[in-house]
Amino acid sequence: MADKESWKKEEEEEEEDYDESTFITQKDAVLFAIDVSKTMLTDPPPSNDKKAEKDSPTLAAIKCAYQIMQQRIISSPKDMMGVLLFGTEQSKFQDEDASSRGGIQYPHCYLLSDLNIPDIEDVKTLKGIVENEEGAREILEPTREPVSMSNMLFCANQIFTTRAPNFGSRRLFIITDKDDPHAADKNMRNQAQVRAKDLYDLGVIIELFPISHPDHEFDRSKFYDDIIYRDAAEGSDLALPPTAFKSQGGGGISLLSTLISDINSKQVAKRSLFSHMPFEIGPSLKITVKGYNLLQKQAPARNCFIWAGGETLQIAQGETKKFSGGDVAREVQKVEIKKAYKFGGTNVMFNPEEQKELKNFGPPVLRIIGFKPRSMLKIQDSVKKSTFIYPSEEDYVGSTRVFAALWKKLVKSKIMGVAWFIARSNASPALVAILPSEERFDDSRVQVIPAGLWLYPLPFADDIREPGPVPKPLIASEELTTSTRKIVQQLQLPGGIYDPSKYPNPSLQWHYKIIQAMALEDEIPTVQEDKTMPKFRQIDKRAGEYINEWGKILDEEARASQKSRYGGIDGTDLKRGSDDDDGPPKKKIKVEKNEGTLADMSVDDLKNAVERGTLKKFTLADLRDWLKTKGLSSSGKKQDLIDRIEQWVEDH
Amino acid sequence: MSKEATVFVLDLGSTMGDCHNGRVESDLDYAMRYVYDKMADTMSSTRTTLNTGVIGFRTNVTNNPLDDGDEGYNNISVLQPLGTLTMPLFNDLKAKITPSQTEAGDAISAIVVAVHMIEKYTMLKSGKPGSYVRKIILVTDGQGRMDDELLDDIATKINQMGIHLTVMGVDFDDADFGFKEEDKSIIKQENEKLTRGFVEKCNNDSIVATAAEVIESLSTPKVKEVKSIPVYQGRLCLGDPEKYPETAMYIDVKRSFFTKAARPVSAKSVVIPLGAASTQSSHTLPGDVEMTDAPPTGDASDVRTGRSYKVKDPTSDLGEKFVDYEDLQKGYGYGRTAVPISASDENVTKLETFQSFSIIGFIPTDKYEQYFTMGESGITIAQQVNDKARVALSSLVHALFELESYAVARLVSKDGKDPQILLLAPYIENHLEALIDVPLPFAEDIRMYRFPPLDRVITASGATLETHRYLPSSDLDDAMSEYVDSMDLSTFDKDDEGNPTEYMKIEDTYSPIVHRILQAIRQRAIYGGPVEPPAEILTKWSEPPAELAMKSTGRLEKLISVADVRKVPPKVKGTRGRREVIAPLSGLDIESLLVKNKPNKISKENAIPDFRQMLAAADKDETISDAVKGMSEVIKDLLQVTGDANDQRCQENIKVVREEMIDYEFPEFYNNFIRDLKKRVFKKEFGNKREFWQTIRLAKLGLIDSTIISTSDVSPEEATEFLSIPTELPTRRRES
Repeated sequence: MADKESWKKEEEEEEEDYDESTFITQKDAVLFAIDVSKTMLTDPPPSNDKKAEKDSPTLAAIKCAYQIMQQRIISSPKDMMGVLLFGTEQSKFQDEDASSRGGIQYPHCYLLSDLNIPDIEDVKTLKGIVENEEGAREILEPTREPVSMSNMLFCANQIFTTRAPNFGSRRLFIITDKDDPHAADKNMRNQAQVRAKDLYDLGVIIELFPISHPDHEFDRSKFYDDIIYRDAAEGSDLALPPTAFKSQGGGGISLLSTLISDINSKQVAKRSLFSHMPFEIGPSLKITVKGYNLLQKQAPARNCFIWAGGETLQIAQGETKKFSGGDVAREVQKVEIKKAYKFGGTNVMFNPEEQKELKNFGPPVLRIIGFKPRSMLKIQDSVKKSTFIYPSEEDYVGSTRVFAALWKKLVKSKIMGVAWFIARSNASPALVAILPSEERFDDSRVQVIPAGLWLYPLPFADDIREPGPVPKPLIASEELTTSTRKIVQQLQLPGGIYDPSKYPNPSLQWHYKIIQAMALEDEIPTVQEDKTMPKFRQIDKRAGEYINEWGKILDEEARASQKSRYGGIDGTDLKRGSDDDDGPPKKKIKVEKNEGTLADMSVDDLKNAVERGTLKKFTLADLRDWLKTKGLSSSGKKQDLIDRIEQWVEDH
Repeated sequence: MSKEATVFVLDLGSTMGDCHNGRVESDLDYAMRYVYDKMADTMSSTRTTLNTGVIGFRTNVTNNPLDDGDEGYNNISVLQPLGTLTMPLFNDLKAKITPSQTEAGDAISAIVVAVHMIEKYTMLKSGKPGSYVRKIILVTDGQGRMDDELLDDIATKINQMGIHLTVMGVDFDDADFGFKEEDKSIIKQENEKLTRGFVEKCNNDSIVATAAEVIESLSTPKVKEVKSIPVYQGRLCLGDPEKYPETAMYIDVKRSFFTKAARPVSAKSVVIPLGAASTQSSHTLPGDVEMTDAPPTGDASDVRTGRSYKVKDPTSDLGEKFVDYEDLQKGYGYGRTAVPISASDENVTKLETFQSFSIIGFIPTDKYEQYFTMGESGITIAQQVNDKARVALSSLVHALFELESYAVARLVSKDGKDPQILLLAPYIENHLEALIDVPLPFAEDIRMYRFPPLDRVITASGATLETHRYLPSSDLDDAMSEYVDSMDLSTFDKDDEGNPTEYMKIEDTYSPIVHRILQAIRQRAIYGGPVEPPAEILTKWSEPPAELAMKSTGRLEKLISVADVRKVPPKVKGTRGRREVIAPLSGLDIESLLVKNKPNKISKENAIPDFRQMLAAADKDETISDAVKGMSEVIKDLLQVTGDANDQRCQENIKVVREEMIDYEFPEFYNNFIRDLKKRVFKKEFGNKREFWQTIRLAKLGLIDSTIISTSDVSPEEATEFLSIPTELPTRRRES
């Protein structure tokens, strides 16, 4: 395992284009600890509301775990997850079964799905409970005996110790409605506190998802504040407001959806892309920031090779070795490999140290060069996704307040910073715009966009493509534009925003849906679901009438334009109507490119071109396009095409 | 792209060996900077249709086809006939570029030789001139005698042939550029006049330029222009024209990339056999710069990769075994589960899609946050030959522009490609009406971690605070605001007319990595020598402009004093008794509870917490030593299990001991323990645990050396040596 990892790292270091996602080496393990008790199993009060809550808190929590498990298989296939029920009548640990011989190690703890990278059995197990299959009822039978929290915590400790000993991020999600499990027994309470400290020392973080009932508000201070420690990795003692969950039946937002959205926002371990990053706001004013990869293009995992020679199917791990060519292949070491660049028919070479030196532009830094109005950042000036940064007090005390002051100023004055940025040692320097984001929440008051700054990579001159010559635009009439405006106004997206959560990636979803069905040996679905498909019926209903009208105006205008440009069918007058320069609103005129295209040329221009013999300067495609517009044959060699155009010019 | 024939006409007169105007390099070396740069341009492109020829004049000898022994074409030598320039030819040529011992030889005659050379080379078999771009580049210091006869005829010939003539004169006067040589010799003055007069007669943008200007321009990186190619051609729809022909719109469009991140030139990996010469590449002379002919002739060979596959095998003492490629089947992982897919089902997981570009809806521009943009932008224009489409697109662009709206659209660029979501923005510039697009994220692409707000502090108990040391005071806000305003770049630069304009425009920024590598390749090929630091222009934007920074110094000082940022002092090592007390949210005294409730020993099950707690409670060094001993026993016990089942757990335990001993500054406790462990591992006390040591090696859990803790008596070399695997053992299990 470790061997393979290191090989991979080496491979990737060599790749010119570095994928940020590979940089996240920290693996995450999450164990759900779900309380099974009488109150947790009580269904919410019945309601006539169709959307009303029907699930008991325990079931909602298991459903939530089930959904999150499927999601993690897609989004973080190397991370672990497990589900532990506590307070159950039955007990089950790693290698024991429910009717274990001898003493039970952790009474009333039922390890539903052991901590591991989930496999199809784990998915099936959770699915079984959610769909209330046989046996689900017995498993969800609460015990009548008092449940020891210290026992549950130690059980979790052992699961982490044995299954995910070297994971950088390990978290225990406790979902319960009992705010004071050991109210009467001080000894039990102390035991739990001790076991919680063990978890802390082991590096496991406890996240609490407290559930309140209509008649009982969960009070963290009774018990949980004694067992929960601040996440040291967070680096500061800034906190987020804790979320409260209610099992309340009809009305309001369902427990399941709040749970899912809250757990979702926490289930991804906060992995920083870089830390200890010096942020120079001005010469000699430095603070520290951490960077986070909040946007990461997800793609289906690449296919792999499977070995079917054993009892179970196994994914084979590939190992790559480098060999020298020549008669006798010999395995080569990294230091022997040089980079050779083609130049003047030979190779120009650099040894590994030199390659490294070529990439060296100094140590990592984010240095502000100055500020510009945000309107100077044009939408087209985009090459890569942005990175989120957030202050950290790790190297400079006071970083947070300075960062906050800068953030406030950028928000208020609608400006952006521009900065020189080196993300890692030997990373290519980038120029970035620094854009502020304001905090945003979803319907259930869960934060969806944090307040902070984004490093938006700016393109270099080298990144801009030459659009090539295009004819001057044919500008639509006021009437036609007005008609289009009506259509645009009819078809605003809900809330006037693009909400990514409404648009799952159809290829990705389909891929995993099929794989899951194959793994479960279910029937392979045939109907594709694609939420990115425009809602055609709605478009027809809301804007159909306007589009129809637009089509009519367009037809007329196109005919008129055709006529004025080519003088109708007989082509007697070829003066174009749209050559006037007073057309488009000008924002900024760059270099005026006056390479006319063939389609733009008047007959006189064409005559000149024929005389000067410059027609051959045009590309074959240009010539073909022109011929097509005139309804002439566009086949043949270039000279044939030129001849045909010359013929046409002569005729007119 | 068209063929090119370029002839350099180089002045090699003895005067070119002198240094002028404060330069320490000879005029020839100075001028050759430009010539070599041009030649490097040619060689770095892989085009074989670029032909280069070189003629020297004022050379010691005469060697040209026009010389018939009479006066006129003496002291002119063809140094390199027209043809593709390669490195070996270049090296030969370079050796010939030295100042001669003569001043005789006429520049204009040399041009005639060049014209003749081009004429012959570019003539087709039919006798007609071939289609070529023809160029003559004359480099001279203007100190030789120039013949002013027949200038008109020569110019006419040059024009007939469509030759571009460029004259680069060393220290020629140039009022536009602002250069004037003092104490210019009469002959040079006359020659400059003659040259200018001659070039004026030549068409095709022929020019005279002074060397200083040309050489200055060399420092500006050349941006490789890449023409956009359409990546989508078809309809842009609103509604479904198939299903609702009367109430759906479509426009015939073509989409291409507007930006595309430029990559450094790609290199091939090659191996030079060990022991082969030329490893001292960086200091060899330019003449034998480490190079090999392509294809490599045995010196360097391509790197090939071989791939092998292995699977877990509990019966093997290594826990894994290699398997044959033939026994493998393609498939996918679903979590830990392997899902094989038969060859016939190969595309079953692929979403079936059809080419389409369809608008989903519209949003106001101010509701879009630019940090959501996922990558490179594209541009969509109407198909050029379709007037109806051009008018239709224009109406959409204008409607979006007027309504300050963007469209959101779904694009499948070709049948079977994955759908993308694009934001479409109106673009009306440079007589171009188009839609700009940028990719938007899907639901799965967003990993929104939550972060505390920046304008208020929420305490552990859930109360909201408006003032806190993490929040800026109003003084800090004001100081920041003033400083930021003083660093405004939007009008800091000046345009050609001297009007204020934006500083650091995109067209002025060059990709540092792309151009650094290009420069290094040229440098090495042309001049040799070690890798030089990046050119100044590539790091121009790494600092705020000095002038502006200077102006806002006062405001920055104010900001610094109000901000009161302090560097965290080097970590005060958490030696015994000086550690910060850790407590849960409630502040409960957990330490004393632990003392009462836990035995002071290390258990196998709960080793790490026990170890940490024992250290925290230690009041004498022996306790720490005991803790390490206890941990050592646990690790040895865990290693007794065959296979790698406990390897990671042991690794974690070792890591914790190492970290804590660094923190507590007891390197010797850890070092003694890990030395002992290594000895035992290689004495096979735990069976075959070579792989385990491998994991320790990769996790860098070696000795704590003196660079980590100064009191350690282990040198970094010893620490490196320690991690290696003893060589007397075979490195790989013998194949059985």
